[in-house]
Amino acid sequence: MKIGVMILEGPYQHQAVDSAYLFIKAAIARGHEIAGIFLYTDGVNNINKFINPPGERNISKRLSELGESGIDIVACTACSKFRGMRPDLAVEHVRQSGLGSLAEFLRAADRFLTFGD
Amino acid sequence: MNKVIVMLRKAPYGSVYTAEAFRTIMGIAVFEMEICVIFMDDGVYALLKDQNPEKLDMKPLGDGFPMLKDFNVSKFVVHDESLSERGLTTDDLVLEVELANSNQIKDLMNDYGKVLPF
Repeated sequence: MKIGVMILEGPYQHQAVDSAYLFIKAAIARGHEIAGIFLYTDGVNNINKFINPPGERNISKRLSELGESGIDIVACTACSKFRGMRPDLAVEHVRQSGLGSLAEFLRAADRFLTFGD
Repeated sequence: MNKVIVMLRKAPYGSVYTAEAFRTIMGIAVFEMEICVIFMDDGVYALLKDQNPEKLDMKPLGDGFPMLKDFNVSKFVVHDESLSERGLTTDDLVLEVELANSNQIKDLMNDYGKVLPF
């Protein structure tokens, strides 16, 4: 099954991105395909390459690894501008784009999950 | 045609979710998406007439929803209990809506298949 994902919260404050990550890993392990991950509102802060939590899970690195494995990870351009998340601050294997990507993921997905507060 | 529900459940001010839900509706409607907008819980306040949030440095959100007809978004559903629990009626709202009970909303979610909750 093709699954689309949207994440609405940023790193460490809420569980949303962690739940999304663990869900995606489990879904892939079960043979499902991820249509794309759309980072919306504070979710765009999850791909900051300067995230550096001593001794804890690195959320932006985790997302970058998902991107490297071939999953399309898109951070909303407008939300990024509002939060000063310039493209050069982002980890590799992710990109910025608009709500058209969300529409595209919705269209491609059999199921769509939102992880928020 | 792809179908999706955008569900608003939070108060319109105090967080960005309602404004972003509105932006999402406009943003994806242009990509041939059949959209049903559902207002539940404190989300019903988004449709109140005469919102005046200037002192919060926010733009009034209610006025935007009737405009969505120009984007071919015309299905607006309000959870009847959420409205009556707050002492409101459809006369208090900025546009004509369909009222639905919890079971009818459940059926809509089944029918549309995909839900974007804000």
